[in-house]
Amino acid sequence: MRRRSLLATAAATLAAGPFASGCSPSSSPSASAGSGSRRGRLTYGVWDVYQVPAMERAAREFERTRPGVTVDVQLTPNGTYWTKLRTACTGGVAPDVFWMNGPNFGLYAEAGQLLPLETEGSDAVLRPADFPPDLVSLYRWKGTQYGAPKDFDTVALWFNKEIFDRAKVDYPDSTWTWQTLINNAQRLTDRKRGIYGVGAPVRAQENYYNSIPQAGGWVLSEDKKRSGYSDEHTREGLQLWIDLIHRYRASPSLQQMADTDPTQMFQSGTLAMTYEASYNAATFYADPELRAKVDVAPMPKGRRRATVLHGLANVVYARTPHPELAREFVRFLGGERASLLQGKYGTAIPARNGTATPWAAGMPRFDLQVHLDALDYAVPYPTSANTAAWAHKEQMWLAKAWSGDDSLKGATGSLTDAMNQLLAQEREGRS
Amino acid sequence: MRETNREGRLWPAHILLSLGAVITVFPLLWEVLTSFKSFSESVQVPPTILPAHWDWSNYSKVFDGIPFAQQFMNTVVMALLRTAAQLLLCSMAAYAFARIRFPGRGAIFLGFLAVLMVPGQLFLLPQYQIMQDLGWLDSMQALVVPGMFSAFGTFLLRQFFMGLPEELEEAARLDGASPFTVFWRIALPLARPGLLALGILTFLWSWNDLMWPLIVNTDPAKMPLSAGLASLQGAHLTEYPVLMAGSLLATLPVIVVFVAMQRQFIQGIAFSGMKG
Amino acid sequence: MSLDVRTETAVPAQRSRPDARSQRELRRRERRFQHRDKWWGYALIAPAGLGLAVFYLWPVVQTLYYSFTEWGAFGGTTWIGLSNYRTLVGDPEFWHSLGNTGIYTGLVLLGIPLSMALAVLLNLKGLRGTGIYRTLYFLPVVTMPAAVAVVWRWLYNGDAGILNHALSLIGIDGVYWVSDPHTIRFAVAVVGVWMTVGYNMILLLAGLQSIPGDYYEAASLDGAGRVRQFFSITLPLLSPTLFFTTVLSVIQSLQVFDLVYLIIGANTQNALQNPAYSEGQTVVMLFFQKAFFDNQRGYGAAIVCVLFVLIMALTAVQFRLQKRWVHYA
Repeated sequence: MRRRSLLATAAATLAAGPFASGCSPSSSPSASAGSGSRRGRLTYGVWDVYQVPAMERAAREFERTRPGVTVDVQLTPNGTYWTKLRTACTGGVAPDVFWMNGPNFGLYAEAGQLLPLETEGSDAVLRPADFPPDLVSLYRWKGTQYGAPKDFDTVALWFNKEIFDRAKVDYPDSTWTWQTLINNAQRLTDRKRGIYGVGAPVRAQENYYNSIPQAGGWVLSEDKKRSGYSDEHTREGLQLWIDLIHRYRASPSLQQMADTDPTQMFQSGTLAMTYEASYNAATFYADPELRAKVDVAPMPKGRRRATVLHGLANVVYARTPHPELAREFVRFLGGERASLLQGKYGTAIPARNGTATPWAAGMPRFDLQVHLDALDYAVPYPTSANTAAWAHKEQMWLAKAWSGDDSLKGATGSLTDAMNQLLAQEREGRS
Repeated sequence: MRETNREGRLWPAHILLSLGAVITVFPLLWEVLTSFKSFSESVQVPPTILPAHWDWSNYSKVFDGIPFAQQFMNTVVMALLRTAAQLLLCSMAAYAFARIRFPGRGAIFLGFLAVLMVPGQLFLLPQYQIMQDLGWLDSMQALVVPGMFSAFGTFLLRQFFMGLPEELEEAARLDGASPFTVFWRIALPLARPGLLALGILTFLWSWNDLMWPLIVNTDPAKMPLSAGLASLQGAHLTEYPVLMAGSLLATLPVIVVFVAMQRQFIQGIAFSGMKG
Repeated sequence: MSLDVRTETAVPAQRSRPDARSQRELRRRERRFQHRDKWWGYALIAPAGLGLAVFYLWPVVQTLYYSFTEWGAFGGTTWIGLSNYRTLVGDPEFWHSLGNTGIYTGLVLLGIPLSMALAVLLNLKGLRGTGIYRTLYFLPVVTMPAAVAVVWRWLYNGDAGILNHALSLIGIDGVYWVSDPHTIRFAVAVVGVWMTVGYNMILLLAGLQSIPGDYYEAASLDGAGRVRQFFSITLPLLSPTLFFTTVLSVIQSLQVFDLVYLIIGANTQNALQNPAYSEGQTVVMLFFQKAFFDNQRGYGAAIVCVLFVLIMALTAVQFRLQKRWVHYA
């Protein structure tokens, strides 16, 4: 066995020799001939500086199990990550393995930039049963799996206990409904002191992507052909936020929130409640003062309970010179060991079932189980082949409804038209 | 005018200039103060003016987060090489435009000017493509080479050469010197102030160049400071005090360069006369 | 500076005879020393020219081509003729951003008189501390835009900003400067002026310093007051520098991107919730959005091409008009 693998290694090195030094991609089948004993240098593209330590650690562990393999973690800050990645993909020099998110996935999958990942048999890179189904399907395109879920985030209601105590309001719990939220947000608002009950910004993932399904509405039809913004229930899910600002006056104005991000207001103690995704937990926990003052509860119920579920995935670049090695790395990253490691570092909740507990346990003063339990009522994140194009229109039109420049009916009407047109273009293959 | 110029009568000028200077410097002072605040203090509402306690840790975070010394060196090398190349190449072209008559001169000059009129973001992707074709991604060449050529520099120096007295050059030419000799031996030494002005400007701009290094280089060891500092910002969180500390550290050397060279710099521009 | 300037400015009244002047200029130009070995011309231009052609002009030509295509996110183009341009003509977002950019440019140009005033003050003979002033005014030019934008966002903050705090002391209720559609363009232009005033001041100061002092002496002997000296000597002799700064300011302001982008918060995930976004968006921001985020690269190319033509045209007009007000030595 040992001799065989040595030979295989030598053969692979020879085969890869001329390519290894240059940048030219080789997808020669010879690379996949041998199994389990490949040498080479993998690059791993990520965008969050706070997750680099966890990713580096995972990379070192992988190297230990694969002698002769090195993994290079490449950080590109969020602002330029996508610009650079697209350019690199066009030129055939993207990292072998890189992070992907929901809104961008369709674009890359549709353009054939990603390598399919086996989900069955002994070669399986991931077994769908190991991950929340909505995360697995987020990275499936036309029946093929391209991404292995890396982490997930759910949304919950974060609140400032100090402000609640001062206003003598009971802390939020699972009995809260939209009406409870509205009533208490009004009670918590103290304009003289510059304190508001709840933030109602035009944020998709944290805000209206949750309230829309809570009201029984939808953003995008399952066949990704139609916009749901003309649905009455969808509009109800948006009206909640507009009313919190204008009718109940329990949220800062849109201008205030554009000046100071609601998360920042919450951190500085001028916002009693805010809808936040789980990735902010570690930020809140890092601040000792804030750690003592805030906690988290499930989002109030509308017609039903719902949270939008998003998560990143690890994907393999279609033109990687080391497809097998890259797949192995992705399999390793999704495995139990790497997942537990990721959770221990605290920034993101690992996607693999049963590995999330260390994440919650690492921040014992917060009731983080709320974020984990939210998986039970999660709805998939709406995406299509060119999500960015209509997401831009979405924010643009909804901001007009929020500010009062346009009626909600008018804005969502225009948005539906614009979105449907873009979706039609997608189907014609124009992206 | 000269007789009214005694220092005692200049106090209104001092008041106006100081007032303007305070307004100009205030945002930068804020930058300095913020760099000493803790993150939670930096986002506090209402903001504090002086830090509750002077926190140097933001500066050490910069040093911990990026290979500062290495990136500093990269920045110096990048800025110096770009500057040197521009001085040489731009002055050659500028001299030709100013003093040599050849068919197509106007059209070629127009081509140079056209480059000035295109937003820089446009060049990112095509230049990346070229770097990749050359196999130069993630290298010092990639940082330097596209920045070696400058339409602005050529334009500035052409104005400068046109403002130089012609007699010396004419005399040398009559003695049989080649145009290159005239350029190299006579015009270029006279153009020193102009070269200095262009040199300082190129140096400053290269120093702060951000987008291009971020796109073309990935390895932190091959990035300049500007790009390294940008990668300190998290996906969901910007640690403002660290950003401020880093940008101050990065800016300090160029301020020193400017202070040291400003007199010559201004003379340089003055000499060029800025003719059309 | 050649002799005829001296005679001209010593007798300012002669300035009103442009015909004689330009004829003399013409004759002088003919006399101008020029090499006639054209090959040297090409040889000297070649290195810079080839570099610019490869790295800058070629991309411009490519962009022109792409503006007539549907350009896929990962390459691959389809020729669609004028379709992008037709979309552009009917795109209110484009016209709006063009208007914003125009207003921004106009406002930033107001900074030139300010730079000029500073330069004149700094040029007063006998003034001490000019080196310090110069450095202080130049500081904004050298600081990193990313940090500058964050600081200005704080200063402008509607609830907690220093600006509104200062205004409240004199009984004025401030607004949300960078998220109010009515104020965003002014707020951004102020930062634009702040960032460029030092640069323009240095250029103008240099221009002022090249004006020989004896002109002023001659003029004051003739009994001309300070104000008249300014208009009859300083302004005309500074006009070439003023022209240069104006042309470059216009070109750069029309291309403004990162400053506005950062101040408006476009680098954050929820930039569009800023109610002032559409009033602040500039042409290059729109191009960036289309080309890098919406994956409409062909359309983005068309936007830049139109901007390019506009800048060319405006610059050409300025060169035409310079004959009316710029006085060359």
